[in-house]
Amino acid sequence: MPLLDIENLTVSFPQHEGVVQAVRGVSLSVAAGESVGIVGESGSGKSVTCMAVLRLLREPPARIAADKMELAGVNMLTASRAQLSASRGRVAAMVFQDPMTAFDPVFTIGHQIVETIRAHRKVSKSEARGEAANLLARVEIKTPEAILNSYPHQLSGGMLQRAMIAMALSCRPQILFADEPTTALDVTIQAQILQLIKDLQAEFGMGLIMVTHDLGVVAETVDRVVVMYGGRVMETAPVQDIFDAPAHPYTQALMASMPGRSAGKQRLVEIPGASPNPSNPPSGCPFHPRCAVAEARCAAQVPAFKSQSATRAAACWRLP
Amino acid sequence: MIRYILGRIASIALTFTVVSVIVFLMMHAVPGGPFDGNDMPVSDAVKAKLNASLGLDQPLYVQYFKYMWGVLHFDFGIPFQSPGETTLQLLSRAWPPSLILGGAGVLIGAPLGILLGMAAALRRNSWIDYLASAFATLGLTIPVFVISMGLIMVFAVWLNWLPASGWGKPHAWILPITAYAAIPMATYARYTRSAMLDVLTKPFVTVLRAKGLSERRIIFQHVLRNAALPMVTVFLPMFIGTATGSIFVEAMFRVPGLGAYFVSSITLRDYSLEMALILMVTMMFCIAYLLSDIVYALLNPRIRVGGRS
Repeated sequence: MPLLDIENLTVSFPQHEGVVQAVRGVSLSVAAGESVGIVGESGSGKSVTCMAVLRLLREPPARIAADKMELAGVNMLTASRAQLSASRGRVAAMVFQDPMTAFDPVFTIGHQIVETIRAHRKVSKSEARGEAANLLARVEIKTPEAILNSYPHQLSGGMLQRAMIAMALSCRPQILFADEPTTALDVTIQAQILQLIKDLQAEFGMGLIMVTHDLGVVAETVDRVVVMYGGRVMETAPVQDIFDAPAHPYTQALMASMPGRSAGKQRLVEIPGASPNPSNPPSGCPFHPRCAVAEARCAAQVPAFKSQSATRAAACWRLP
Repeated sequence: MIRYILGRIASIALTFTVVSVIVFLMMHAVPGGPFDGNDMPVSDAVKAKLNASLGLDQPLYVQYFKYMWGVLHFDFGIPFQSPGETTLQLLSRAWPPSLILGGAGVLIGAPLGILLGMAAALRRNSWIDYLASAFATLGLTIPVFVISMGLIMVFAVWLNWLPASGWGKPHAWILPITAYAAIPMATYARYTRSAMLDVLTKPFVTVLRAKGLSERRIIFQHVLRNAALPMVTVFLPMFIGTATGSIFVEAMFRVPGLGAYFVSSITLRDYSLEMALILMVTMMFCIAYLLSDIVYALLNPRIRVGGRS
């Protein structure tokens, strides 16, 4: 049984101008210990998918529907508040994009890690504090005691993201959602944080969902890639195949637009057009207006998500 | 922190001096004197004698320093409109009703307003939110004397449960205190609602939920503590502002409080009382701002002076 099992997830936000369809039928499963990257441009629905799984979106306005949304055997669609609180942090933890705004500014880092530990396990404050210090040491913070006593505004972004990761790992989650964990950080820090997440994933044997728009991040950290566009999954494949032999025209276009993939000086290749308007998505395949090889049926009907092999699947009319 | 507080106390002394000079000058810049009224005209000779006996014939700076010297010794002079007692005696007689009225009004109105604002923020766009907003808007827009009149009509005239005015027995306090509580309640409800909503949309609240904390802990420990930051800066000074009484409520319910003296001391050129009242209010506001700054610093680690503490 997969650790995370989502079938046909839709997330929409009714607004005055119409319904914004952020996620339109995403199916995704992650096995225990597996690392999966979700890539896509802004507005492709990758972050919203993660937030929806942990039911972190405000409902209403958000409307979540799915044929199935199970996390470690718990049906997250019907879970009670108490079940949700028990799953969050304990079964699935999350690392967010901007560490500077992710901590409560009026409490120390130590307080915030300790309260996370004590929300899920019956341990004394001093025990929890000892564990917090160990965790901070594990995320390569040289002076754990000083950091525990610091307030968020006293630390740098890289330091806070390390503390955030330590906090996420404090209850030994079975799966870690990392939502663009390096986007807000300096380039020099990014590689360190990615390496840290990768090492910890192996050490803790936990599943990982790495949400990013950066293909470089994906190449370095995950086993399998899920490519999203316009609220749908376009393609999923092992990371090597995505880079070496992308099947879906969108993935191919993405790879072609990566700088420095071909030798010599040349103009950066771009995908013509703009991402679809989520409140008025195109009919059929969401990518067809920008697709170089689109046919008539691409605009008429949504292509089914079909397996090409044991490890690969894509949603495109042109694929067998 | 100690240095900071000492610095603030020095600046309070400066504020106090500046306010006293300005008020003293403005007070004497108003034409006429305490014995120029037309109700009971006095002859010029008598007027001159009275002015001389009260020291009003001396140059302004002499009068100012004499008065302030007295203030430093807790001598606020004699109120011309009630010469049988000292200003301090008048204040200690008239202030308690105002203090009870204002204090009870805020102590009842503020917690109710905070609860109402919290309920509105937590159940945003529900009937509770709309009811609280309507209540807050009405409380702020309907003048307090209209509210007073309504209360008198319903509870004193129609139902005949409570006296329409007076300050003798404690049950006469209920209506004026209720009228008085409306404004703090409405103000606090609006502030609390917007402060809470502001914090609830912060990313760290999502992080707290993602950590698996209970909603109750998130609201009562994290959101309230953060929402309290902008609130303390408004609440303490407002508390002081109300403790000096309300001219309107006191007039409507015939409460023998301080409110009327704020007006009469100006119209009657009652210099000693006017100075005493304004200096008292100034001092209370200075202390209130000092206290709210200290509380703010204690609640907010980001502005704690001297870094980590």
